[in-house]
Amino acid sequence: MLDAGLMKSVAISAPWFAAILTAVTRRQVRAIGFLAAFISVVASAFALRAATGSELLGETLMVLFSCLTVVAMLMLPRRDCNPPTIAGILFVTGFTLLGYSTDNLLVLLVAWISTTIPFFVARWFGARTWRPRVGLLLSSVALAVAIGLIAVNGHAMSINELKGRSPGGMAVFGFLVLALIFRKGICPAHAWVADAVDGGPAIPTALLLNGHFGAFLVAKLIVPLFPHATRDLFPVLSYLALATALYVAIRALTENSPRRLLAFLALSQSACILAGLESRTAEGMTGAFVHWFVVTASTMGLFGILRLLEVRFGENLTASKHLGLAEHAPRLAVFFVIFGLALVGLPGTLSFCSQDLLIHGTLMSHPLTGLLLPIAIAMNAVSIFRLFTRLFLGKRRTGFTVMADALPRERWILTVVVLFVVLGGLFPNAIVVLVPVSSDAVEPVTYSSRPTIQMFGSSSRGAKGVPITFWGTP
Amino acid sequence: MDFSQASLLFVVAAPGAVFATFALLWLLGWVPNERAVSRITGLTFSACILALAVIVWTLVSTGAPAVMVAFGNWFSVHDYHFPLVLMADRLSLPFLGLTVVLSGLIGQFSATYLHREHGFLRFFLLLHLFAFGSLLAFAAGSFDLLVAGWEMVGITSVLLIAFFQQRPAPVENGLRVFAVYRACDIGLLLGVFAINHWAGTASFVAGLPAFTGTQTTIICLLLLIAAAGKAAQVPFSGWLPRAMEGPTPSSAIFYGAISIHAGAYLLLRVQPWLAQSPLASTLVIVIGAVTAVHGTIVGRASADAKTSLAYASLTQVGVVFVEIGMGWKWIAVAHILGHATVRTLQFLRAPSMLHDYHQMHSAFGGEISSTGSRLEELLPETVQLWIYRWALDRGHLDTILDRFVIHPLILLSNVFARIDSLGLHQPTSRREKVVLSMRSPAGQGGD
Repeated sequence: MLDAGLMKSVAISAPWFAAILTAVTRRQVRAIGFLAAFISVVASAFALRAATGSELLGETLMVLFSCLTVVAMLMLPRRDCNPPTIAGILFVTGFTLLGYSTDNLLVLLVAWISTTIPFFVARWFGARTWRPRVGLLLSSVALAVAIGLIAVNGHAMSINELKGRSPGGMAVFGFLVLALIFRKGICPAHAWVADAVDGGPAIPTALLLNGHFGAFLVAKLIVPLFPHATRDLFPVLSYLALATALYVAIRALTENSPRRLLAFLALSQSACILAGLESRTAEGMTGAFVHWFVVTASTMGLFGILRLLEVRFGENLTASKHLGLAEHAPRLAVFFVIFGLALVGLPGTLSFCSQDLLIHGTLMSHPLTGLLLPIAIAMNAVSIFRLFTRLFLGKRRTGFTVMADALPRERWILTVVVLFVVLGGLFPNAIVVLVPVSSDAVEPVTYSSRPTIQMFGSSSRGAKGVPITFWGTP
Repeated sequence: MDFSQASLLFVVAAPGAVFATFALLWLLGWVPNERAVSRITGLTFSACILALAVIVWTLVSTGAPAVMVAFGNWFSVHDYHFPLVLMADRLSLPFLGLTVVLSGLIGQFSATYLHREHGFLRFFLLLHLFAFGSLLAFAAGSFDLLVAGWEMVGITSVLLIAFFQQRPAPVENGLRVFAVYRACDIGLLLGVFAINHWAGTASFVAGLPAFTGTQTTIICLLLLIAAAGKAAQVPFSGWLPRAMEGPTPSSAIFYGAISIHAGAYLLLRVQPWLAQSPLASTLVIVIGAVTAVHGTIVGRASADAKTSLAYASLTQVGVVFVEIGMGWKWIAVAHILGHATVRTLQFLRAPSMLHDYHQMHSAFGGEISSTGSRLEELLPETVQLWIYRWALDRGHLDTILDRFVIHPLILLSNVFARIDSLGLHQPTSRREKVVLSMRSPAGQGGD
């Protein structure tokens, strides 16, 4: 039997070693990156097999993120496949895995900050505008202050030891929420996400966003450490998440930059994850977790395809007119529409299941504001379909001779991701069972304690979807 | 699982399996020829018809009310379950039959009609996906599963409207139809949520759950939004003429036969609830009646054959809604079957309409005589003109939607865009824009 700790160490350190190797050798960088990411996938999978209870969340996310890095390595167009980019991606991957796996607050802070470092360096992954740097910096500062206060008041740095103790009280809770708002791009701190995607490299930025450290902070830290504050104040954050989902969905309706539009959609769907987590219902939280899988897979596919299109057809792509690229790249068009619709609840994909659960969860916990979620999802669906029609449909473009459709390397990896999304949709229980929200973890709080539910009249379902604590929290 | 249950499973799954196989192989680089595609399509739907005959025979010979196949829960979280149950009862069987027969016919017709057309395979893929979605919706034993089929029908419908992708109009119209569908489907999602919430399940294999009067009315009204959207009833009728941009065979099966009647099927499924709710049933009647009048007036001012036929469909579906609201369930089913069959034929003959008229004129030995006086001549001329303008603008429904929904949303979106750009330096000159766009970091194409 392989040791879980060792496997985690291998999963985390393999990308770092590979990053150093690519920087030194500067040859075969894609192969090195792919190999390191693949080792991370295998090691994380072994660690997941041995994981129990509260570890399950981190280990599952480690597998997911390692897989995402493999996809990124294979999808990177040759033009982007240079030592700095590969090293940067591996650097971010290593620290993201470290953040997922740790129980120590200080290590979490180091991982949190380190994943943002490449995005501060202008010649690495830095964006053209100041907002991404400020957003990431403020989130790091807020988390550092919160963890500092916890260290002073809680006299411990282990998350397990601090569970349920509300260390530092409301001040720490406030700073943690601030860190979450800035990192996740919750309104009014949402604008940096679109700037980062628009002005930075598409695939590394997608990886940064798909780390979902904000949602991870909620699941790993905020809910377990502050159960009482969570119960009283989380609805406010939930409303903010729902408002973000809707605001950004409306904003996307008229956006013509494909990168920004995709960033808005990713942001809106990510806010849905947060809304599900904060619904504190079994359905909502499970839906959020499953949606996490869907959003990461789909947005990675979408950003990857967009980058491939930019490389092939020029970087001046726009959604203001029909570009007719499907004539040149029909398979990329099909992949795009599948990922796009999978992001917004296409039946037969995993998101159909996740959005069903999310809508149920949020409506049960917030019957009025929960209505915003299906509205936001519907608008996102319109926006992604609009982007698809503008990029791929329309009169065939002339002016260039032969343009490659998806290359075999891209085609196979995209097919694997599509199969994941579709097979996950056909057999969602395979993903749902990974969510360790058991009946033991359910707090016996009934609907009657929440007056907002009364608008639906008396429920015949008793304590269905009752508010619950999170992964492994006693 | 007995033979009839296996047959039901086959009927629903076969088109889906064909779609999945073709799509996956195509994604990996294989392109089948036209003959293989049309033959496999013909075989699939012929086998489905035979399988359906087995189900009908089983029901008739045993007197059982329905054939059911339960696969347990698709997924479950605590008390919430998504039951995976297929059911063929006396309501769903006519719709299942209609779908497999007409899909097979359309497949055969299209093999010739779309011969060497760019997008031949795409059309057949979408036809199979549509058939799968429709069959899933009609054979669903729970509202959750019905939603899945319902959404698939919507998406295939939109992709077929945008079939002729070289022209911008079909693409833009497809987008508009998609937006209306998604907006109306919110009603379905909320309705199903309410059913789950109050009844503890969305399954109806053991009959519809009982609710209080208010609950029943809320559920019926939410489902009515979805049904009216799918059936293009007033006030959602504006999308119907836009949907005529698709190829004629798809228009025939979607807007002459299956998709347009899916809303009626949903209302028929919940008809016992409608009967309990005077408000909801009255609303169904009013919507149906208004749509029937709207359809007949607007259809008279339509200049092209397919749009006229679409509005004729709309009129008939409006009447079907009235029948459902009145509680005449089986009259509505008979009406749907008859109407779908005739309308499909009319749609398929639409491209040959002039040829047909010439043949008729030849048979009569000259021009066919006028049908007689027109009723609108009884109205004052100003009213006639007003109605004509109203009909030409298709009841101003699109104008109202644009003015009161789309434009405010776009305005709001632009306001949000301005808010988002606060604090950012905006390039003022063309030169500055070019310079900014050339500053690309690593991995963004600049190296």
